[in-house]
Amino acid sequence: MAEKKRVLVVDDAALVRRYYRDILEHAGFEVDEALNGLEALEKLLAAPVDLLIVDVNMPRMDGFTFVDAVRRQALPLAATPVLITSTEAGPQDFAAARAAGANFYLVKPISREKLGEHATMLCGVSGAGEYGFIRP
Amino acid sequence: MPVFAALTEEEYRRLCDYLYRRTGMVFTETKRYYVERRVVERMTATGSGSFPSYFARLRGNMEGEIERFVNAFTVNETYFYREDHQLQCLSRDLLDDRLRASGRGRSIRIWSVPCSTGEEPYSIAMWLLENWPLVDSCDIEIVGSDIDTAVLELARAGLYGRRALMRLSPYLVEKYFTPQGPETWKILDDLRESVRFTRVNIVEPGETAPHGRFDVIFCRNVLIYFDDASRRVAAENLYANLLPGGYICLGHTESMSRISPLFDVRRFADAIVYQRPPGDAHG
Repeated sequence: MAEKKRVLVVDDAALVRRYYRDILEHAGFEVDEALNGLEALEKLLAAPVDLLIVDVNMPRMDGFTFVDAVRRQALPLAATPVLITSTEAGPQDFAAARAAGANFYLVKPISREKLGEHATMLCGVSGAGEYGFIRP
Repeated sequence: MPVFAALTEEEYRRLCDYLYRRTGMVFTETKRYYVERRVVERMTATGSGSFPSYFARLRGNMEGEIERFVNAFTVNETYFYREDHQLQCLSRDLLDDRLRASGRGRSIRIWSVPCSTGEEPYSIAMWLLENWPLVDSCDIEIVGSDIDTAVLELARAGLYGRRALMRLSPYLVEKYFTPQGPETWKILDDLRESVRFTRVNIVEPGETAPHGRFDVIFCRNVLIYFDDASRRVAAENLYANLLPGGYICLGHTESMSRISPLFDVRRFADAIVYQRPPGDAHG
């Protein structure tokens, strides 16, 4: 059996982390959690993951700052696929995600099926960052 | 067999008067056995040789005796998913209504008071995860409050026995708890982190007001312990803790209409709840 793909869920809301974790574990992923960008960066530097699922509005370090920091790391860490999750759905929000180097953007609320499908798809993405942005 | 305090009529009356003034709870002669049991517990625990010496200790609040005494009195029997038709009402109607009407964006504040050992606020969190499709798109704050600091400590610890879990399916128990021994389960950290616990006496406006205003308050099976005057004070306090248009859920045997005229009664598919009129922004 293939090794499970690892996902780090970065969100300051405990209920949201639990909701996503449950969906992802059911979809066959191994899941870890972080409360904000700073904690996520620490975890990522300690152990790489196959996908980052990142909220935008978080204390200490917001999602865009975190994604930008990830993209500035050395390869292969810098190429970790990123899925942004946010309640904001304006063109400027998509543009900010793109500028930070996100691969995909899902607007909350996100259904179980949608999150599972996108996580699976993005875990197959490689070389993300410079060319990897997929329009929402 | 424990030796009962055998309070005189006068002693019992004075104790009940005192308890009423401190907490708003009313105990009549029919509760005498129950009250004496608690008094004996506390007399034994404090090494008081007689009721007068214990009562002096209580009134002098020696070593925080008032709080310990009140703690011994609070009824703390509850379980997960108790009266879940109200939780159904929450996820089917109340929250969506609040999001439409509140004008406060995607913020939802829910208060469970009294929360006892945490079963109710944690049930709310679990229920929303299982049943509310907007759970990841709202800023949900769940606060659990109780007058009894001992139960709040237990609530924060999040450890439960089989009885507390009796209404939950094995699926939910496995999903949200980890076994901690043959008869103990611990609720997941994500759920523990999603509820904030505070102490409050709901007949003290100075204690309820700092909690701020909520979209939904669960206040179940506590007003039945109060007399009419305390019930009214509690209802007015809770009213002030509701956002305009916010809802309060009482226990199924309780009726707000008999306590206070402030609230509108609302009938939804799953439950009857009480609402602070949407137009009343003051108070």
